[in-house]
Amino acid sequence: MARAGSRSVSAGFVAVLFVAAALVATGAFVAAWKRDLTAALAGLPLIFGGAGVAFAGVSRFAATSAPPLFGQEVAALLPVVALALVALGVGIAGRGTPR
Amino acid sequence: MDSLHAIGFYVSATISVGGGLALAFLPGRGSRGVALAAGGLGIAGLYLSLSAGFAGLVALVCYAGCALLLSAKHYRVIDTSEGPVWRQAGAVAAAALFAILAYAAWRGDFFHALYVSGDIGSASIGRLLFAHDALATEAVGALVLAALAGATAMWRGRGRGR
Repeated sequence: MARAGSRSVSAGFVAVLFVAAALVATGAFVAAWKRDLTAALAGLPLIFGGAGVAFAGVSRFAATSAPPLFGQEVAALLPVVALALVALGVGIAGRGTPR
Repeated sequence: MDSLHAIGFYVSATISVGGGLALAFLPGRGSRGVALAAGGLGIAGLYLSLSAGFAGLVALVCYAGCALLLSAKHYRVIDTSEGPVWRQAGAVAAAALFAILAYAAWRGDFFHALYVSGDIGSASIGRLLFAHDALATEAVGALVLAALAGATAMWRGRGRGR
């Protein structure tokens, strides 16, 4: 039972969008900051992850009576697309000497 | 969102953004892979706290794959010739992007609604993926197949040429 005067921790839709924006911006920062283009590919999953968090948040806080699953569906597909793009980028880069 | 879910959400948000920032600043492939895996773990936790457990499982597997790919020892390093000014401009642009997105989230006029669903929901998501939106799922599957086939062909072709 909560004590009198204590406040419960809560997270709303705006907090979800803040985190999603932070993830997208962090991914863009990684892609811009890395000198090695293959390492800069690591920003892509973060950008896709931020978009997925926004979709899942919309799905979680949507104002409909039935559970809207479309956001969760997109959130499940986006990491697969990110993995495919990273694999393609690493394949295009090809083999080389480790650093 | 109750307190437990909210705490999980904030902890996962810290892990994911912290992993992303570590990814930007850590040198070496192994540490980058660990940072990306930590970021993926945080993103999966975010999905889980948003009642999207199935998406969280998919994200966990895919981000582990991304981390393994990017921490591999044998891919070629492609250095850009751009100076530090362009990289700093990119960093400032990323900060501006965050400011714009955060401002849009803060000033947005959203209807306050609550929906409580704690299960993973793989059956309903599966019905949506393979019955209602089967074309989108097939498109993503074709993209994955083309990307993996192209990556394998280029990897083998460049390896043979050396």
